[in-house]
Amino acid sequence: MSKVRSVVNKLHERIDYFIEKCPNMTAAPYNYNYIFKYIIIGDMGVGKSCLLHQFTEKKFMANCPHTIGVEFGTRIIEVDDKKIKLQIWDTAGQERFRAVTRSYYRGAAGALMVYDITRRSTYNHLSSWLTDTRNLTNPSTVIFLIGNKSDLESTREVTYEEAKEFADENGLMFLEASAMTGQNVEEAFLETARKIYQNIQEGRLDLNASESGVQHRPSQPSRTSLSSEATGVKDQCSC
Amino acid sequence: MDELLSDVVPQEDLERFEKKYHHELELDGEIATETKFEYAFCLVRSRYTNDIRKGILLLEELARTHPEGRRDYIYYLAFGNARIKEYTSGLKYCTAFLDIESNDQVRSLQAHSPANLDRPRYPAAPLYGSLALPLSCAVPSSLHEVSAALWSAERSLD
Repeated sequence: MSKVRSVVNKLHERIDYFIEKCPNMTAAPYNYNYIFKYIIIGDMGVGKSCLLHQFTEKKFMANCPHTIGVEFGTRIIEVDDKKIKLQIWDTAGQERFRAVTRSYYRGAAGALMVYDITRRSTYNHLSSWLTDTRNLTNPSTVIFLIGNKSDLESTREVTYEEAKEFADENGLMFLEASAMTGQNVEEAFLETARKIYQNIQEGRLDLNASESGVQHRPSQPSRTSLSSEATGVKDQCSC
Repeated sequence: MDELLSDVVPQEDLERFEKKYHHELELDGEIATETKFEYAFCLVRSRYTNDIRKGILLLEELARTHPEGRRDYIYYLAFGNARIKEYTSGLKYCTAFLDIESNDQVRSLQAHSPANLDRPRYPAAPLYGSLALPLSCAVPSSLHEVSAALWSAERSLD
């Protein structure tokens, strides 16, 4: 069943893509009100791609190979009754990609900065990731710090308190999460979106700025019915 | 995959890495692997076919001369070829990669290419024509496997 769901999701992505690229060639309206661009950054092996996979597929990807360059994922979420499409760019953590993946920071509305709670070195490098983020994004970009692998308590090298203090000092949102169990993964992605949405509502984020990382789309209901049909198929299935 | 393939490198980035590449070339006639790779990474993401072809040539050279990074080069060779719709070559790189490592990134690139392809109007250049891989005893066995897969990819491309 998950395979069917994955195929349906892929079809949706494909359709959305063509609608975005050729809005005048189709009468189909968008099934979301906003697009938010996210980036995921952090050292190699901290679990960036696993967090993304857990968020988009609700599954843990064991034996995840190192990302080559950059990966991409999407999911439509809901904040305050508004449908928001998250476009997530997941960057490679390997040093050799560091300089070239900087171009993906531009125009990000949200930056998820990830370290591994069981490897202190990945935490120690956060200030360098933060410097890049501050330099390459705009002041309204929401930066969310994620301490991943919270399920590995016995090998923890960074305490919650220490990281929380770092986050507070630098004005970052913060959660410890586990891409393996799924704990707090949803929350991290959703809270980032809520904060971005709040910034829009309060006028802190200019939608017309080219690098705000947010696009506003007029919404009409017909595509939503396609989504609910797809969900309906799943619900009726006895498997 | 559509988003990745249609994403275009910012012009200023392409120019920055191009400048670095030429600067090193002029300075000591030699270019660091890192610089070559960064420039190639930008070129294959350019909107212009000629840039992408140039990036592919650089990546082929890197794949010959720098085995440690071959995994990245093969992926971006497949990626660059897919961007200029040279699917036959692109798919061969995907196959060569997947023979060695199971990888979702490569699989989605493979799945993106049309399944039934007419052969391109002109044949793909023999990519590893002059390739002679120095396989010293110090090279770990997995690299031998990579090389073997590359050799077979080359044979099927010829």
